[in-house]
Amino acid sequence: MNPIFFPLAIALSAAVSGLAAPALAAAGHGYEFGSPGKPASATRSIAVNLADNYYEPDAISVKQGETVRFVLKNSGEFLHEFSIDTLAAHTEHRREMAEMMEMDMLTPTGIDPEKMNMDHSKMDMGDMSHTKEAKGMPMRHDDPNTVMLAPGESRELVWKFSRAMEIEFACNMPGHYESGMLGRIDFAK
Amino acid sequence: MRKFRFLLTTLFTLITGSGAFAGTYDLTVDEMRAGYDRGERLTMAINGQIPGPTLRFREGEEVTINVTNKMDTDTSIHWHGILLPYTQDGVPGISFPGIKPGETFTYNFKIKQAGTYWYHSHSGLQEQEGMYGPIIITPASREPYKYDRDYVVMLSDWTDEKPEAILDHLKKNSDYYNYAQRTVGTFFKDVSEKGLGATLKDRADWGKMRMTPTDISDVSGYTFLVNGKSAAQNWTGLFKPGERVRLRLINGSAMSYFDVRIPGLKMTVVQADGNNVQPVPVDELRIAVAETYDVIVQPKEEKPFTIFAESLDRTGYARGTLAPKAGMSGEIPALRPRPQLTMADMGMDMGGMDHGAAPGAATAPAMNHGAMAGMDHGAMPGMDQPDSQSGIAPKAAKPGGKVLVYGDLKAMKPYAEYRAPDREIEMKLTGNMQRYFWSIDGVKFSDAEPIRLKYGERVRFTFVNQTMMSHPMHLHGMWMQLDTGKKKFNPLKHVVNVPPGQTLSVDVPADAMGEWAFHCHLMYHMATGMMRKVIVEGPVAANMEMGHE
Repeated sequence: MNPIFFPLAIALSAAVSGLAAPALAAAGHGYEFGSPGKPASATRSIAVNLADNYYEPDAISVKQGETVRFVLKNSGEFLHEFSIDTLAAHTEHRREMAEMMEMDMLTPTGIDPEKMNMDHSKMDMGDMSHTKEAKGMPMRHDDPNTVMLAPGESRELVWKFSRAMEIEFACNMPGHYESGMLGRIDFAK
Repeated sequence: MRKFRFLLTTLFTLITGSGAFAGTYDLTVDEMRAGYDRGERLTMAINGQIPGPTLRFREGEEVTINVTNKMDTDTSIHWHGILLPYTQDGVPGISFPGIKPGETFTYNFKIKQAGTYWYHSHSGLQEQEGMYGPIIITPASREPYKYDRDYVVMLSDWTDEKPEAILDHLKKNSDYYNYAQRTVGTFFKDVSEKGLGATLKDRADWGKMRMTPTDISDVSGYTFLVNGKSAAQNWTGLFKPGERVRLRLINGSAMSYFDVRIPGLKMTVVQADGNNVQPVPVDELRIAVAETYDVIVQPKEEKPFTIFAESLDRTGYARGTLAPKAGMSGEIPALRPRPQLTMADMGMDMGGMDHGAAPGAATAPAMNHGAMAGMDHGAMPGMDQPDSQSGIAPKAAKPGGKVLVYGDLKAMKPYAEYRAPDREIEMKLTGNMQRYFWSIDGVKFSDAEPIRLKYGERVRFTFVNQTMMSHPMHLHGMWMQLDTGKKKFNPLKHVVNVPPGQTLSVDVPADAMGEWAFHCHLMYHMATGMMRKVIVEGPVAANMEMGHE
């Protein structure tokens, strides 16, 4: 497995198995347009329904500096993602997801934890991956801007929009974004 | 039974109260002069245009379609892929007697599905004349995808000859249109490349099968069209950069398969034969005769993109353009070499197959397909990835590119009544290339008994292609659930392509009473006998109600 998948793989398995620790921005990966927000700072909530394969609503308006709590529900029968990012970053993320799908780590309906674990053990984690600590390790993943929802699952994402930029919320499961599972984020003046 | 009060003069009327929609559509079939690039000839067209007008229905609509025949010969219109009462299916001799000269036949049926379909004449060789058109059905609920623009891309093959003349040539000399036959020259080239022994054996193998390796398609000399426009006329669909564009690809050809790509754009397949599939991004797809695929593309740059559809035999291409403004042209790629069947395509080098039982031998269709390559159902070559040994399996033009295979097609919604089939009917797809007739189990339509199904049963049709051509098998009135090993997510198709030497299975839910056509959708194959009548029978009382027995 390509090491570049590692953070994403952890993020996915953590998200779907419900093990995710509160999203913490790992060192070295920031977002020009914002950062994970503190739930207490959220000034409003936006409910987003993740269906097969589209969002409702599929456009939102935010203010620069605002912290928003996204209340997400996957009402569909497939695995979906809610990821806030630039168009270029989404494109790169999609490429990784497609390769994970090819390796069967990811299926249309979920993550294969066995394949994930198997692949972890092949990686440069040495003995760590076999220890209890490794499995229960806080998944301090690199993608605090992304939430993965299994069919039927509900989750939240709190995000602080600090800078107006061209960004979208998107599902990068293979084929989903391409066929229109994305939403516009407008910055209100 | 039919609500004639719904027959209104307005084209599309909301019937208040019931919430049902009803629409009336008028089609007129007449002779017309038409032609491309090399002058005109007398042909047949619907409403004076080729293709005929796009019919736009809504799921749940009660449609009334008046088809008037202004020609001096019988005609018909069949609604391809549409679920309807069999008397409205439009196949002369099976569903109804046809439409006589000067008469109007009124079709009535309720639309029970959504998606991209098409319609065409089912009389003689009229479809090849230009009697075909698109059908778009808007779903009752929202679609599982989003797009800004919506275009039909109907591919077809125009001939300057009368279709009857083509059939005549084929019957006299099946290689009439095979311009790429191997010659003494290619024999010596093969000897120098492969050695004398291998070349002789190869030639001998092909000889025993009464075929030649260039026999992948039997009619050439076509002008290929996009929405009735030749490559030179360049059908154009407009977009603004960043918009998502839905293209409804329909192969309305009589005989031509196409390899379709749009260099510079991924195509995300969202529908196959009118049914939503889990979206799959591809670089290229092969569309068999009478199939449809809906794809979504997102051109981001302000420049023209060429929709390039090479005919499988590489004698030409259909071409259109997606452009930010009219009058633009993108680069047109070179045609790739004509695919050549390999012995692997015919399962010849896998051992165990008796060469004497040649595909194409209509009288001896006893090929031991059990010993053929990859005959395990659900694990067929080309189902999950293109078969690298095959000379005919599609390959992406783009290096490392993804080409759509049937294994990629997964239904968007699981099929609730999915279960193992109650029984299996095996059908050998057979033909005699040299005498030019095509058949099923070696028996042509005029000599064959109907296939009888019981209402409510689930029957597996297993197609064993013993010929060297691909056959797009089409069942009227009911879905075929193509077995790709995805069980309840197996895709629903109205046409399945069976490549040369291969076997594939479909499960048919026998859920529509009546008499239905089932045939190869290559026009000259159907016309020479690769066809059956399928009768779905119910309990005796139900049959009597239908006017049977």
